[in-house]
Amino acid sequence: MSRHTTLPGPHLTALYLLHAGSMDVRLISLSVERHWKHAVRLVPTLDEARVVLVDCDRPGVEAAFEQLGPYPSAGIVCYAFHPKDHALRFPNRLILGKPLNLDALPGILAKAANDTAAIKATVTARRQVPAPVPTPPMAAVETPSSLGHGLHMDEERDLCGAMDDIPLTPGTPLSEKLFFAPDQYLIGHLSRAVEQAVASGRPHVISGLPHLIGVQPQPLPVCVTAFRGNQLRPFSMTQLPHATARIVSALIFSESVGTETVYAAEDFLWNIAAWAARGRLPVGTDPYQRVRLKAWPNFTQAFLSPHALRIAALWTRTWASPVEIATQLAIPHRYVFSVFSSAHFSGLLDRNAPTVAPIAVIPVAAHPSPSPKQEQRPSILSRILRKLLNAV
Amino acid sequence: MRSERARHNKIIFSGTVGAGKSTAIAALSDIPPVCTEAVASDETAALKKTTTVAMDYGLLNLPDGEKVMLYGTPGQERFSFMWEILSEGGIGLVLLINNANVDPLKDLENYLAAFKKFIASTAVTIGVTHMDRAQEPGLDAYRKKLAELGHDPLPAVFRADARNREDVATLVKALLYTLNPGLVDA
Repeated sequence: MSRHTTLPGPHLTALYLLHAGSMDVRLISLSVERHWKHAVRLVPTLDEARVVLVDCDRPGVEAAFEQLGPYPSAGIVCYAFHPKDHALRFPNRLILGKPLNLDALPGILAKAANDTAAIKATVTARRQVPAPVPTPPMAAVETPSSLGHGLHMDEERDLCGAMDDIPLTPGTPLSEKLFFAPDQYLIGHLSRAVEQAVASGRPHVISGLPHLIGVQPQPLPVCVTAFRGNQLRPFSMTQLPHATARIVSALIFSESVGTETVYAAEDFLWNIAAWAARGRLPVGTDPYQRVRLKAWPNFTQAFLSPHALRIAALWTRTWASPVEIATQLAIPHRYVFSVFSSAHFSGLLDRNAPTVAPIAVIPVAAHPSPSPKQEQRPSILSRILRKLLNAV
Repeated sequence: MRSERARHNKIIFSGTVGAGKSTAIAALSDIPPVCTEAVASDETAALKKTTTVAMDYGLLNLPDGEKVMLYGTPGQERFSFMWEILSEGGIGLVLLINNANVDPLKDLENYLAAFKKFIASTAVTIGVTHMDRAQEPGLDAYRKKLAELGHDPLPAVFRADARNREDVATLVKALLYTLNPGLVDA
């Protein structure tokens, strides 16, 4: 699996956000301000743009494209929840999936800008000879496999990143990229707000964000917000400037506009943590320490990262480190790290392993070699599972 | 413990009156479920107009032509003699508890006791329904109750909407992974 890097270089990619919603503008602006200063520069007009980012999901996108007519030298990158659907409407456009992979985006923007410039140069050169000039299809531009139309990989990468496995035993220094600092994300603020609300028995509110997030500690801890689900995910994935969010105690948290959604705090924390973690661990975590899940998360509401059900099934019954769980299930470590991070913040992690941890003797990845006949006929449980996976 | 092959291809749905057993089977079944609903005449009438008096029956058609039966037990405890018969040879139990009942945690205890032998040799997942009408007890209270009852590890407990196929499928998937976390889809 290839890894994306932000393209450094002396030339900033001049980016114009066309037809993007206010939330996206804010998030991308924050990302530029905090992380892409040396790669991307937001420009206020199309005249200055080397590349344009277009939200295809918003009504009137066709009219937005018409604005681009006078700017053939600008690269165009689109994004949408369902790129495949839009690929039919706009067959020659590069369309990324939502939420945008913020690690990869600067590189993609730079590439689109450079490719378009190169195409323009080629076209200009060919115009000097009397030959028909085929319009190079934008879809043919090489794009990272995990973005754009590769929805499955795209979602997987957004959920769990692309981190390689770490050594199976401690001793080797671990990459800083393995860890994330919760305080730089929404999850850090949310976690503190829930803690303070529960400890004080009083509602708390996170302000300073596009919408308030209220935490009601009683009778059962819940989080209330007007953030829509499709806003929360990208917002949770983005690092917030230090002073963006503030936690304040409130006598009551009134539902002012009636569009708020109420989430069980545990589910909410699980999801926000998963989106922030993206296959990483909270800073300070020892990936070799044995822990256990106190209970299954509420997987009808909590986000199901790849293999999360299998991980929960195993980790509720055995003390094991994240690395051991991944090894037993024969899955990439990042999937287990994702579950670990969510469990950590939602209070489902038990770190008090007995002094002598029981050795897990569980038939998981290590299946006995099946006979040829058995190989042709998987177990009934596997077949039911496949049916359910395909059906839902 | 019997081998997978020796078991019948049967998943049992049980739980309290009005918890959504029939609905859950209907949500998952590939055929219109065979129901034995009748007009409720006992204390059930206070909870809903009709109730299952024998069993519900649905079907999952597997791609290779094999079938998995989905059996729903009647909710009333006076039919509890049927529970053991219906569950005989089943793969596992999906237990649905109506959170809007007077004492859902007691219901949980009663049903776990009734299916104790079956659960011991298979597995159980628990769907808590009607939480939109009754938020309490929360899932944590269910987990505490299960721990008190000596369930270690705790079975999966999910908030569930029996009308939602995805919720019901998630309960069944959790059941399958509880039986074998190493399971991969074939």
